[in-house]
Amino acid sequence: RVFSSFNVRAFLQNAEDVDEVFDDLFNKYGKVVFRRNEQRPSIAEVDDDAETLSFAVAVAKVASDVKAGDIKVLFVKPLVYWTRFFIIATAFSRPQIDAIASRIRDLGEKQYGKVPSGDTKPNSWTLLDFGDVVVHIFLPEQRDYYNLEEFYGNAKSIDLPFENQPPPFRG
Amino acid sequence: MIQPQTRLNVADNSGARELMCIRIIGTSNRRYAHIGDVIVAVIKEAIPNSPLEKSEVIRAVIVRTCKELKRNNGMKIRYDDNAAVVIDQEGNPKGTRIFGAIARELRQLNFTKIVSLAPEVL
Repeated sequence: RVFSSFNVRAFLQNAEDVDEVFDDLFNKYGKVVFRRNEQRPSIAEVDDDAETLSFAVAVAKVASDVKAGDIKVLFVKPLVYWTRFFIIATAFSRPQIDAIASRIRDLGEKQYGKVPSGDTKPNSWTLLDFGDVVVHIFLPEQRDYYNLEEFYGNAKSIDLPFENQPPPFRG
Repeated sequence: MIQPQTRLNVADNSGARELMCIRIIGTSNRRYAHIGDVIVAVIKEAIPNSPLEKSEVIRAVIVRTCKELKRNNGMKIRYDDNAAVVIDQEGNPKGTRIFGAIARELRQLNFTKIVSLAPEVL
């Protein structure tokens, strides 16, 4: 729609005329609500990153092979610009963190040629940064403490094709 | 350009409010610290009933400086205050949320954890 330029301030000084002016505009042009031309459903954006998505799902599968708990893949591209996917997993001991991290690293190098930057020694919050995909491996207390899922609550969660085990009850 | 005796705000909810830099970690005899450098600091002011107390010596990463940060494309970022995020020996942030915008240089310096907790990345 083309807007003709009005001197809005002059009109607003006469309060009674303003309503009439706006009514005239509505009658002339109809109710125009600004719409961003590129508005797409959030699901469509995921298809752009099919390769990254397949990498993220492969990483999640590797993590579940090592019995990581509660794996979540979040599509954060609409929220942050510096990455596409977050993968959050829980590991229950430091050797398990080490195992998950080294398997994910091997998968990245061999199949996708990506070398991660991030923690080399296992940490209670181990992070592997593959550029478009960031992997967070937590110990259970840290996962509750930092609560990344709440911080990124608006991110769409990607369904994983395999069975996701809930973290087993540890007495 | 942070040096020993510099007071910094704290950009997270760890419980500290103000830090004073004591030492810059890295090469020996380094004069100034910039965004992304780890410093040793003492807590000068803390929130009551928090896990961190006044006059505790901790490590922190500088996230905002009044001295501008220069990028290769010519862009300069200059904040209005000096601020740091409290960190532990392993490099994990002590607080759970970060306040203020964070420069993306922290990601290249292996502080992606801070970047992932930041509300806005410049």
